[in-house]
Amino acid sequence: MHMLNAIRPKNRTIIAYLAIPVVMFVFTVFVPLVTALVYSFFEWKGGPVKTFNGLSNYIQLFQDGTFWEAFGHNIYLVIACIIGQVGIAFVLVMMVNSKLVFCKTIHRTFGFFPSTIAAVCIGLIWNMIYHNKYGILNWFLEAIGRKDLCQVWLNNSDIVMLLVTIPLIWQYIGYYMVIILSAIASISTDIFESSEIDGANGFQKAVYITLPLIKNTMLVCITLCIAGNMKAFDNIYVMTKGGPGTSSMVMAMYGYQVSFGQSNMGYGSCISVGIFVLSLLVIGGSQMLINYVTREKEAA
Amino acid sequence: MKNNGTHKLKKGFLGVFMNLILWIFSLSCIFPIIWMFYSSLKEKRVFNADIIGLPSEPTLLNYTRILSNPDYHLGASIWNSARTTLLSIAMIVAFSFIVGYILSRVRFKLNRVLYVMFLMGMLIPIHSLLVPIYIVFQKCGISNQWFTLLLPYVSFGLPMGIFLVEGFVKTVPVDLEEAAAIDGSSFSHTLWTIIFPICRPILVTVAIIQVFSCWNEFSFALVLLKDVGLQTVPLALTQFKGQFASDYPKQMAAMLITMAPILVLYFAFSKQIINGMVAGAVKG
Amino acid sequence: MNKRQALSAVLATAMVASLGVTASAATPVAATELAYTGELELMHYSTLEESQGNGGSDGFRTVLAAWQEAHPDITLNENVLANAEYKTQIQTLASANDLPDVFLLQGMNTKAWAEQGLIMDLTDTIAASPYYADYNQAYFTPFKTADGKIYGYPVLTGGTCTVVIYDKAMWKDAGFDAFPATWADVETAAAYFGEQGIDTIAFGNGGQWQANSDFLSTLGNRYTGPEWFQSLIDKAGAKFTDEAFVKALTEMQRLFTQTTIFNEDFNAVTNEDAREYYISGDAAAFIGGNWDWSYIYATLKESDPDKFANMGIAVLPQPADADKAPNSQNIGLGYAVAFNSNLAEDPDKLAAAIDLAQEITGPAFASYVAENYALGGLTKVADVDLSAFDQQTVDFYNWSYVDTETCEIYDSYINSAVWSILNTDMQSMMNGELDPATVAANAQAAYEENY
Repeated sequence: MHMLNAIRPKNRTIIAYLAIPVVMFVFTVFVPLVTALVYSFFEWKGGPVKTFNGLSNYIQLFQDGTFWEAFGHNIYLVIACIIGQVGIAFVLVMMVNSKLVFCKTIHRTFGFFPSTIAAVCIGLIWNMIYHNKYGILNWFLEAIGRKDLCQVWLNNSDIVMLLVTIPLIWQYIGYYMVIILSAIASISTDIFESSEIDGANGFQKAVYITLPLIKNTMLVCITLCIAGNMKAFDNIYVMTKGGPGTSSMVMAMYGYQVSFGQSNMGYGSCISVGIFVLSLLVIGGSQMLINYVTREKEAA
Repeated sequence: MKNNGTHKLKKGFLGVFMNLILWIFSLSCIFPIIWMFYSSLKEKRVFNADIIGLPSEPTLLNYTRILSNPDYHLGASIWNSARTTLLSIAMIVAFSFIVGYILSRVRFKLNRVLYVMFLMGMLIPIHSLLVPIYIVFQKCGISNQWFTLLLPYVSFGLPMGIFLVEGFVKTVPVDLEEAAAIDGSSFSHTLWTIIFPICRPILVTVAIIQVFSCWNEFSFALVLLKDVGLQTVPLALTQFKGQFASDYPKQMAAMLITMAPILVLYFAFSKQIINGMVAGAVKG
Repeated sequence: MNKRQALSAVLATAMVASLGVTASAATPVAATELAYTGELELMHYSTLEESQGNGGSDGFRTVLAAWQEAHPDITLNENVLANAEYKTQIQTLASANDLPDVFLLQGMNTKAWAEQGLIMDLTDTIAASPYYADYNQAYFTPFKTADGKIYGYPVLTGGTCTVVIYDKAMWKDAGFDAFPATWADVETAAAYFGEQGIDTIAFGNGGQWQANSDFLSTLGNRYTGPEWFQSLIDKAGAKFTDEAFVKALTEMQRLFTQTTIFNEDFNAVTNEDAREYYISGDAAAFIGGNWDWSYIYATLKESDPDKFANMGIAVLPQPADADKAPNSQNIGLGYAVAFNSNLAEDPDKLAAAIDLAQEITGPAFASYVAENYALGGLTKVADVDLSAFDQQTVDFYNWSYVDTETCEIYDSYINSAVWSILNTDMQSMMNGELDPATVAANAQAAYEENY
C-alpha cells in the first residue's frame, strides 16, 4: 500500500515532519529506559549510593518465583482480555450497527464510560459485588438457592485471577468498541450493509465479510490489548494488592512493590527491564502467530 | 410463506436479544457514574454502613465543603489539568497523524525501525520506571515546570495514536494521493487538505481516548511535580485522603466536580463526536 | 506495598466540638530570633483532610501556622501530600538525592538513609534542645542507628497499634464481665457467638500491613519479650527463625485458620470494613489501631449511644503457650522531623530548620494535643487535665499511656524489604497456604540480605 515512488516526498520533508515527535519520544521514553537498564546492574537501595554488582540482579530475577508467577498472571490476563475485551467489543459493535437495534447513539456513548473512571472507584464497585456479606454475587447465589457456593471471593487464591480479570474486561470493552466503530466507518457502506446482522447467519456474515476488512485495526487492537495487559497495575492493586499472598500479583505491581515498598531500586529497575523484554517477546510472538494463522487462511 | 414467517420470528427474537444485551451492557457502564453521584450525596458514615443503597437523606454537604474551602485549590488544579490536557491532545493528534501516515505510506530506510520503536513505547512499565524518569528530568532541569507533564503525556500517548492512524490509513485507497499528485498537489497540501479530513474518525477516537487518560493521569504528576501550584486534578484529589481512613463520598464529590467539565463536553458533543467517528466512510 | 505506620492517634474533631471544648489557640511558639531569611522547603503529609479527624495532624498544622507567623521573613515552601503519595514521592526524592530541606522520616528508613549520608546527624542538636529534659526518650529509638546517633525529632502523636475494642453488654451475655485475658476464653466465647450468628472478633488484613502492625507486633512480644526484637534491630544474634517467634506465627495461624473467632473474610477486607462489622453489631469485638478506636468512638457517639456506653478496650489476649508481657501493647511515633544533610552548608538556614523542628515537636504542640485531644507526643506535659473529657477518652488515655506495658511496633524498625515479604507471606499463612516455618525462613533470608 505504499505510495508510488513518483509521488514520494523528499527525505528533507519526511525528516522535517518526523523530527519533533521522534526526538521527544526518544528523550522521554528511551532515555529513562536506558537509565533503568544501567541501574539494573547496580545494587541500589534507594539513595545516592549505587554499587555495581554485575548480573546478580538478573540472576536473582531468573530465580525469583514471585516474578515468574506474576508473569504467568500477565499471560493469563492477555489471553482473557484478547478474547474478552477485543472479542466482545467486536460482537457488540456488530450488534450496535445492526438495523434491529435502537438507541444506537446511547450504546455508542455509554460503553466508553468505564474506561474514563478512576481505578479506585472501579475497584470499590467490584469489591462490593464480590463482598461476602453485602455483595451482589453472594446475594444472587442465595436467591437461586445455591448458598453452598457463597464464599469470600477475593480470598480464594484459585480463582482470584479470574475475579480481577472480569472488571478489567468490562472496563475496557468500550475502549475497543470505539476503535472498532471508527474502523468500520472506513468501510464502504455498500459492503457493510450486506454484512449486517439481520438474520440467523448474521454473525457468519460479520465474521467473513467485516472482519477481513478491518483486519488491520483488529491487529492493532490485539497489540494494544497485549501491551496494556503486560503492564496492568491499577485495578488489581486497588482490589487485592496482589493478594491473597501473591495470588493476583502481576509484574508491574511487583516491580512497584520492590522499588517503592522495599526501597530496592536496583532490582526494581531490573524488573522493569525484564517486563519490557518479556512484553517485547510476547508481542513479537503473537505477531508471528497471527501472521502464520492468517497466511494459512489466505492460502486455503 | 411459512418460511418467511419463521424468518421474521427469528429476526424478532434476535432483535429483542441484541437490544437486551446492549442495554444491559450500556446500563452497567453508566452505573458507576450514577453510583458515584448518589453516593456523593451521602455522609461518610452513611456510606460506610451501606455503600450501595440510595441515600435516605441526600445532602450537598460534601460539595459545599469542597467548594467553600480554598485549601483544596481545585480551581488552580482544574486550570493546570485543562491546559496540560488540551496541549497534550493537540500534540498527540497532530503527531499521531503525521507519524502514522508517513509510516503507513512512505517507504524509507528507517520506516520499520521507527515503527518498532514506537511499538516499544507501549510496553514501558511506567510504574516501575518512575525513579529513572524523575532522575532524567531532574538532571535536565525540566522537572517541576508548567510544561513538564506534556513530555510524558504526549510521548506515552503517541504510540497508540500512531498505531491507530497507521492501521486506518492502510484501509484508505492510495489512488487518492496519486490523483492529487497528478493534479499537482504537494505532499504537505495533500496531507492536510485531503488525508486529514479522511482520517477524522480515527483522530477523534484518538483524542477521546487520550483526553480521559491525560485528565486522569496520576503517577507522572505525582513524581515530576513538587510545586503545589502546578498540581493537576488527580493530585489535588489526594488532599481528600487521610492516612487511615478515606472519606469516599467526599472523594467522589470531588471527582465528579473535577470530571464535570469533560463529562459535560462529552455528553454535549457526543452526537458530533460519534458522527465524527462513524461518518467518515470513504468509498473504496 | 508499604505498610502504614502507626502513628498518629486519631480523634475526631467532632468529639472536641461536642465536648464543648473549644480548640484553644495554639500555645504561642517561642519566637526565637532567626538570622535566616528566604525559602525553607518542608514536606509532610498532614493534609487538611487528615487534620480534620486527627489530633496530631491538627496540632502539626496549627503549630506550623503559628511558627510561620512568628517568622514572616522565612518563606515556608510546603509540599503536602496524602500519606501514601508522600511515601512514594519521598522515596523518589531520596533515590535522586534531592530530598527537601525538612521532611518527615519514617523509622524504618533511618538506617539506610543515614548510611548513605542523606540525612543529618542530629544527636548533638537534640541534646542541646531547650526542651530536652521533657523529651520522652523512648520515642527516639526508631530514629537511632546502632552507634547511638539520632537522626530526627519524633513528630505527631503516639498511639497504640493493637487494641481490642469490645461491646461490654454482648460479652456479658456470653458470660464475661470483662474481655477475656486468654485466647482459650475467647474460643469459648466464640462458640456462644457462633450460635448467635455473629463474629467474635472482626479483623481486616486486606492491605496486608494490618496483620503485622495490628496483631503480630504485640503477639510476638508475648512469646519473645522485648529483648529479642532489640537484638534483631541491633543485629545481635536474634533470628526470625528463633523458636519463640515461630511459635508466635504458629499461634497466629492457628487462631485464624482453626478457630471460628474471626470474620471469615478477614484477608479480603480492610480494617475500615472490619470495624463496620463491629459498629453494626455483626461482631462482638474488633482489633485495630488507635485510628480505628477514634473512628468507632466518633461514630457510635453520634449514632448509637447505648453501644457507645458499652464500648470497652482491652489488650490482646494471651496465648496459652506464651509466657511474656501479658499486659503489653505496641505504641510509638513512626515519623520524625529530619533534615537534608546539605543543610549543614548554610548555618543560618540550619538554625531556622532546628527551631522549626523543636517547636513543632515541643511544648506548644504537646499542650495543644493534650488539651484538645488527650493525646501525647515527644515532649511530656505535666499534669494533663482530663476532666473535660468523657469516660471513654479518659479510659483510652490511661490505657495507652499509663496502665499498660508498651512494646515496639515492628515495622517502625529494620527495613521495608523485610516487612513487605513477611506481610505478603503472612497473608497466605493466615489462609493456611504456607506454614509458619517457611514464613519465618523467608523473612530471615530477606533480613540477612537487606539489613
